[in-house]
Amino acid sequence: MVWMVLSPAWKQMSWFYYEYLLDTALYVLEPWERTVLKSMLVSVMGMALNTGYISMPLSIMAILLYFETVQ
Amino acid sequence: MRPGPGGCCCRRPVRANGCVANGEVRNGYVRSSAAAAAGQIHHVTQNGGLYKRPFNEAFEETPMLVAVLTYVGYGVLTLFGYLRDFLRHWRIEKCHHATEREEQQVIVRIFDSEKSLRYTGNIIKDVINMGSYNYLGFARNTGSCQEAAAKVLEEYGVGVCSTRQEIGNLDKHEELEKLVAWFLGVEAAMTYGMGFATNSMNIPALVGKGCLILSDELNHASLVLGARLSGATIRIFKHNNMQSLEKLLKDAIVYGQPRTRRPWKKILILVEGIYSMEGSIVRLPEVIALKKKYKAYLYLDEAHSIGALGPTGRGVVEYFGLDPEDVDVMMGTFTKSFGASGGYIGGKKELVDYLRTHSHSAVYATSLSPPVVEQIITSMKCIMGQDGTSLGKECIQQLAENTRYFRRRLKEMGFIIYGNEDSPVVPLMLYMPAKIGAFGREMLKRNIGVVVVGFPATPIIESRARFCLSAAHTKEILDTALKEIDEVGDLLQLKYSRHRLVPLLDRPFDETTYEETED
Repeated sequence: MVWMVLSPAWKQMSWFYYEYLLDTALYVLEPWERTVLKSMLVSVMGMALNTGYISMPLSIMAILLYFETVQ
Repeated sequence: MRPGPGGCCCRRPVRANGCVANGEVRNGYVRSSAAAAAGQIHHVTQNGGLYKRPFNEAFEETPMLVAVLTYVGYGVLTLFGYLRDFLRHWRIEKCHHATEREEQQVIVRIFDSEKSLRYTGNIIKDVINMGSYNYLGFARNTGSCQEAAAKVLEEYGVGVCSTRQEIGNLDKHEELEKLVAWFLGVEAAMTYGMGFATNSMNIPALVGKGCLILSDELNHASLVLGARLSGATIRIFKHNNMQSLEKLLKDAIVYGQPRTRRPWKKILILVEGIYSMEGSIVRLPEVIALKKKYKAYLYLDEAHSIGALGPTGRGVVEYFGLDPEDVDVMMGTFTKSFGASGGYIGGKKELVDYLRTHSHSAVYATSLSPPVVEQIITSMKCIMGQDGTSLGKECIQQLAENTRYFRRRLKEMGFIIYGNEDSPVVPLMLYMPAKIGAFGREMLKRNIGVVVVGFPATPIIESRARFCLSAAHTKEILDTALKEIDEVGDLLQLKYSRHRLVPLLDRPFDETTYEETED
């Protein structure tokens, strides 16, 4: 697997991943703990994006109306 | 502000010890590139010329992003720690702790510790040792020290099996004590079996209730333990900060003891020669000036600095060119530079005679073992040059060169290094908790052994890797080590330093040299 994709982009990406693990102390956690944290992060981000996608156009319209830019 | 002899005139206020307040002083620390300037300031505009050489000490500030990420890392680890504790308590996860079984209250069996914390059991050969306190390289298995120790081993054996005050006082001990007193330049000295025990058992013999101890913030555990055991009042001054110490001394003399306002029986200042976690050297000329002004006593713990500092290895007193008689109690250990074990206390004859009778260590602790004593005697004679060779002098010079070279190269590479330019202890800042383990493992993969330290030995965000240089390191070894450190530093992104080294200039100072050059 590693030999197959040893292109520079993959190496750079895996180095960034290593840096991310080091900076947030995920490096010392066991694999299942990492899964827990990643799923929590993904779910929080997913919920934020979902709310944004649904309600952002309405909010922007409301703000523009408030500032009487669009009637 | 009168201009100094160099014709320079600084607008900024000059504090008591001559270090300039350029607005970024934190606890007496000065920003790193101005430290080169501050070194010259010490030399030039001086309060009576206490310092005969520039005193370059620097503790660079933690970069903001790094501090934030470190706290985030510790937050994640704390959360998961609590989660795991919860799981273990509710037995969802198997608890691997060492516990007593109900049937066996008498015999305790130790169970396996955590799966991830098991010893790997690997044996790695040919590792460069950058972590042990072998400053002058006497910890080796060949050479004159080893032969002398082997001879004494055949003559005396290993065990003494008695305390100094009973049957354990051998002629070797007397010889050693005379030699130590001569080496330090004091009247008399006494030696003990263990360096930690020297501090913790002798401070209670010197001070008691009704006395005041002023101890540095970052003193070693043995000094803290001895101070607490003694029962005296302890007040802490900021690390190496002479203004803080002077304020405490003034308050102590003016206000006396807390309730009764009586004068203190004794005031004892506890400092160390080199602080092993920071790599900083004590500001001894100022401490001695303060001690004389306020009539206090000084206890100097030279565990790391004896043999490592000074042109002939006599320690921090010689490094600053001071008189050993000014220091009331000179304590040190034989563990670091002499390659043996044990500690000593040197001072006036009355003091040492008092300690011979009243010290807990002399009454209860077994005395030094004869081969160890012989190792100390041989290595001390070698340092003094009395064995006929110039090995001692070469070792000391090699250590000084190694120190300057290593520190300079690391600073040029861009790491944050704490401490004084001349101290052989080099702390390299890591900050983040995951990098502590990662650094140690990566360096071991490249066959270099380092010591990495985290909380609680250091403040929580300032975890570090501590290199201890040795006279046994040749330039090639250091170059190899530096190359690997460079590589690992790039891999783990450890080059946090935001200052480029400002070369020491000999022209008079103007405003521009205080500006830091930032990347």
